[in-house]
Amino acid sequence: MIFTEFIVSNGGVFFGGLGIAIAVFLSGIGSAIGIGIVGQAASGLIIEEPDKFGRSLVLQLLPGTQGLYGFVIGLLVLGQLDAGMSLAHGMYLMAACMPIGFVGWQSAIAQGKVAAAGISILAKNEEHSTKGIIYSVMVETYALLAFVISLILVNAVSF
Amino acid sequence: MAIVKMNEFSLFAFDSVKEDLLHELQKFEYVHFTNLGVDETLSELGLKNVRVPESLMEIDDDINNVSYAISVLSKFHIKPKGIKAMQEGVKTYTFNELEEQALSIEYKEILGEVDTLWKRMESLKLEKEKAKARLSELKPWKSLDVSISEINGFSKAEIFTGTVPKKLKERFSEEMTGFENTYYEVVEEDKDNLYVVAMSYGEEVEKALDSLRNTSFSKVIIQGEEKPAQEMEKNNKRIEELNSQMGDVEKSIREMTPEIPRLELVYDYLSNKKLRTAAAENFLSTENVDVIKGYIPTDKADEFENNIRDRLQNIYYMEMKEAERDSDDTPILLKNSNFAKAFESLTGMYSMPKYSEVDPTPLLAPFYLAFFGMMAADVGYGLIMLIGTLFVLNKFNLKENTRLFVKFFYYLSFSVIVWGFLYGSLFGGIIPLPGLFEPAEDYNTLLILSIIFGLIHIYFALAIKAYVLIHNGKVKDALFDVGLWYLALTGAIVYLLNIVVTLPEIVKTISLVVMIVGMVGIVLTGGRDAEGLGGKIGGGIYSLYGMSGYVGDFVSYSRLMALGLAGGFIAGAVNMMAGMVAGSGVLGFIGAIIIFIFGQTFNLGLTLLGAYVHAIRLIFVEFFGKFYEGGGKRFSGFRSKPKYINLK
Repeated sequence: MIFTEFIVSNGGVFFGGLGIAIAVFLSGIGSAIGIGIVGQAASGLIIEEPDKFGRSLVLQLLPGTQGLYGFVIGLLVLGQLDAGMSLAHGMYLMAACMPIGFVGWQSAIAQGKVAAAGISILAKNEEHSTKGIIYSVMVETYALLAFVISLILVNAVSF
Repeated sequence: MAIVKMNEFSLFAFDSVKEDLLHELQKFEYVHFTNLGVDETLSELGLKNVRVPESLMEIDDDINNVSYAISVLSKFHIKPKGIKAMQEGVKTYTFNELEEQALSIEYKEILGEVDTLWKRMESLKLEKEKAKARLSELKPWKSLDVSISEINGFSKAEIFTGTVPKKLKERFSEEMTGFENTYYEVVEEDKDNLYVVAMSYGEEVEKALDSLRNTSFSKVIIQGEEKPAQEMEKNNKRIEELNSQMGDVEKSIREMTPEIPRLELVYDYLSNKKLRTAAAENFLSTENVDVIKGYIPTDKADEFENNIRDRLQNIYYMEMKEAERDSDDTPILLKNSNFAKAFESLTGMYSMPKYSEVDPTPLLAPFYLAFFGMMAADVGYGLIMLIGTLFVLNKFNLKENTRLFVKFFYYLSFSVIVWGFLYGSLFGGIIPLPGLFEPAEDYNTLLILSIIFGLIHIYFALAIKAYVLIHNGKVKDALFDVGLWYLALTGAIVYLLNIVVTLPEIVKTISLVVMIVGMVGIVLTGGRDAEGLGGKIGGGIYSLYGMSGYVGDFVSYSRLMALGLAGGFIAGAVNMMAGMVAGSGVLGFIGAIIIFIFGQTFNLGLTLLGAYVHAIRLIFVEFFGKFYEGGGKRFSGFRSKPKYINLK
């Protein structure tokens, strides 16, 4: 009984903090993997054509935004964190962090793969490399939707 | 609208004047040839493909040589760096100027000279490599104080020079003991090998050789005459000599680098010449007469005809008519105002319109402008863009495409500033501005605003679809495919609005009726092209299912709010971090400035990139998806795209 009482009286801030962690680390991991995938593909290109560094960097940056969305959500939740907050509030904030955490994680990886394929457009037909960027941005839509929902959730209910 | 009207022409002229004619046409520029080689009806009439003259190969060779010489010279050319170089930028020439200047350049001489110098350089390099290799071969034998010719010059005794693996060192010294007429010496040791000189006489030679073989001795023949140390000295001298010779050659090449701009001119001239010579591939001919077909802009038709008449002195036959509206072969040339021209790259990126469509550029430009601004939305970022682009546009000589791209961002910067004021954001709120919205709190208002933008955007797209259909005489299609959708969508939206806001009962009823009328209409007409009753009904229902796509479209516009907010929050976070360190003394203050500059620059780049591509997505998917087909051919003027200059 004592343990549950402890959770009830102190769990709020813990779950809120856990939410921040989830939003930041999942989307961050995804972005890191995504950027890594593109970076590997781009390095192969730069050996032959170092002039294309700038454009390849744009492609590499694309899967990086998920991590930033997660970071922003984490920052917003951080603003609401308080040592005495209720358990329900903390768990709610954690739930609010879930969409950007999970969608950010997986979509960044998928986006990284598309962007890596975009590197081959850059290699063979530089003029059309913007099209590779747009393909990759199609994936990001879903991370954006998750971000919007997380954002609304964080602010929607006041405790 | 802004697709340039085209005339289609067929020209018959004598083959003998072909080159003159082509030259004239290239000066005129605005000609797009139709490839007649693929037209089977014409070849069945006995017309033959024009043989491309052999001079084409020669031109190709020249182009390759010129670009090779440019690349060689560029290796030794110290480019003027930074802003000054960009200010100088590319020069603009008219076609006549280019031709005159290029013809006055004796480029073959320059090419020959560069080639000789470069070949000399290569051979010197090769020799140097060889000398270096000799040097490393000799190195282990350096302490051998006998001249090499002496070693090789014994008549009775045998001398062995070579290496023994180091791990067999002990075994080697065991094996080599007990000889009478054999002597050996370890000259040098490195990490793997012992370098050994052994000498044997008479009957012992075979035995000594066996012992050596037992210890994996491998023979090395030392090249040269004198003592190894002297030989090395000789090689070192040779390398020095080669170095100074290479320096001389390099100097001569460097002296030739001022020729680079001239060679670049020649390159662009030759590319045009190649295009001109190769253009004949598009023609057909009888024995003496060439058949040429193509397109020219209608407003240049008179000029075109005059030019040809002057050049061919009336010995030709030409037919000209307006290009057919529905023909997919008509090439597309876009003509837009200064403002819309900057957005043509977006249209080109998707696809050129068909001749029967409208040019979407001026239609998408205002939306793109608004969307971009809403997603970037920061007064500071906007000002940086504005000042940067203004500086570049006024101070630098840019290639035409680059200039348009910079201009594109120049226009966008205004929108970013305006939205920045609306959001009250300057570098993420470093100086508080009174804004119309407080993004962190009014995100719901912004979300609704985004969706309303989406609504306007999509309704506008449908309106364009109707316009094109009516313009092409398909009034019924416009009514069914656009009118009914308007009814269904508007009805549905107003009806659903009831859930959020209370509207008068009468509005609710009307909207419901309108929605149902629209939907029933769509089911009835959506499958009208399908065969059979089942197909028509199925097609109709499937059309109505398309409604779900509209939900997705509207939601997609939420990115307008999301990206604007994300950018603002990240900028705010940078400021927060800078603020945290700013408090702790002078060092802290410097750190804060570094964090601020680095963080904001990073966010600026990311925000602009995000706004650029996401606005493109909204245009390509949500907007173009409603009305735009594209797939037109780009009008390729009779000029090759210059690589080093601007051609007027």
